[in-house]
Amino acid sequence: MYIKNIIDNFKKYSFLLRQLVSRDFKVKYKRSVLGVLWSLLYPVLMMAVMAAVFSNVFKFSVPGVNYLVYLMTGLTFFNYYSEASNSSMSAVVANFSLLNKIYIPKYIFPLSKCLFVGINFLLTLIPLYGVILLSGSGETKCHITALHLLLPYSYLCLLLFTVGVGFILSTISVFLRDMFYIYGIVLTILTYFTPIMYDINMLDPWIQQVLKFNPLYHYITFARTIILYDQMPSVKSFIICGASCLITLVIGMIVFKKNQDKFIYYM
Amino acid sequence: MIDVQNVSMRFNLGIEKNNSLKQMAVDLFSKSAREKRKMHKKENEFWALQDVSFKVEKGQVVGFVGSNGAGKSTLLKVVAGVMKPTKGKVLVGGNICPMIELGAGFDLDLNARENIYLNGAVMGYSKDFIDSKYQEIVDFSELHDFLEVPVRNFSSGMIARLAFSVATIVEPEILIVDEILSVGDLNFQKKSENKMRSLISGGTTVLYVSHSIESIKSLCDKVVWLEHGKVIQVGTAEKVCAAYYESQIGK
Repeated sequence: MYIKNIIDNFKKYSFLLRQLVSRDFKVKYKRSVLGVLWSLLYPVLMMAVMAAVFSNVFKFSVPGVNYLVYLMTGLTFFNYYSEASNSSMSAVVANFSLLNKIYIPKYIFPLSKCLFVGINFLLTLIPLYGVILLSGSGETKCHITALHLLLPYSYLCLLLFTVGVGFILSTISVFLRDMFYIYGIVLTILTYFTPIMYDINMLDPWIQQVLKFNPLYHYITFARTIILYDQMPSVKSFIICGASCLITLVIGMIVFKKNQDKFIYYM
Repeated sequence: MIDVQNVSMRFNLGIEKNNSLKQMAVDLFSKSAREKRKMHKKENEFWALQDVSFKVEKGQVVGFVGSNGAGKSTLLKVVAGVMKPTKGKVLVGGNICPMIELGAGFDLDLNARENIYLNGAVMGYSKDFIDSKYQEIVDFSELHDFLEVPVRNFSSGMIARLAFSVATIVEPEILIVDEILSVGDLNFQKKSENKMRSLISGGTTVLYVSHSIESIKSLCDKVVWLEHGKVIQVGTAEKVCAAYYESQIGK
């Protein structure tokens, strides 16, 4: 009964959800000369800078794999997380003027941000696959195999995890506007505590254990196992990915639902 | 149709002072600061609505009068489901079309056509429905030449036209109107009032807020007079309007 209500409500507002996503897309690029091309160009250029700095200046490398592909996989996942969680954090606050005037399920705003950034994520897969195809020759060459069909599982986990985090963040930011600044710092910390540009095995065992509490590590590792090592991820890693994102999502939904009626007092 | 039972709504006027990290830290370590703030909070409480009750039957047109800040808009928002009342209950049977502020769902960077779809979606319409009514909306708004223009470049009257046209395209069971008929030029005012009348004669229940006693008298069957969040009088339009007018002149 309860679940059915949620689904009915979701159906009713799915058109609104699509409209909000397409609105974001249109507005974002409306006044730029290159337009939508930017959503392809921007991540490519950003990653090119990161790749140049880490592989040429700092001489980072990970034994046995193509470092560029290693870095790009991590960056693609992490960039999605940081952009989507950041923009869904402000989604409720930014739409207060609307929420104050008309009844709309409030969860739709953080959710629409996660989906909108998701489109960008899919576009950044194009340069990722470009790098995979051009990953040179020899031992470290990456191959596109049937295992790549499993990758969407890690994308889905990433999405659900981010939606859950987005719900929690957007709730907190209503009551505590300082969150916008705090989270900026948290994200910077997280950039270094997620093995994006380095290999976790370089670190002390106890730090490795700590880093494994970060669900992002597991989603990225899941993808890397397939892309870099042509291997099937272990059953354990399937379970960890699935469970971590579902638990986060459910916690996020509960936190959001419990507090959403109070939002209106904090405008 | 609509049953408002003992609804009270509390706002905390000083609330923005409370939600900073510094305040939380101070609260955490100092008991006296915590108590002081509790007192402060009590002082800052503001009851926008106090124990408001009334019933609206199907097809009735109910007007709301009262000075600025009397709680009219808050009451409509509670009925529309935008706010949950602090105390009391609101029972609503039927779909509501709230026109509390026109153009609330517009994105100024999008053009009129895109905004029709966006605003329609905000109102809870489906894509097929908007597709089928699109021409009707455009015709009613008379903005044929401006469909590809970003709404940013519209005048406020044009925005109101567009918003009114989108909002009234359904025949809702309950229509909530908060002082919006005074927008637009004379021609459009006339048109929107006619639209309201046709909705009313079609059996739509209307909740109507206005400062124009004339339009309240001409449209409403029943009037609720609010002052400082309390109901002063409920009754026929004639009677309540007369009493309200008296009190306003008396000031």
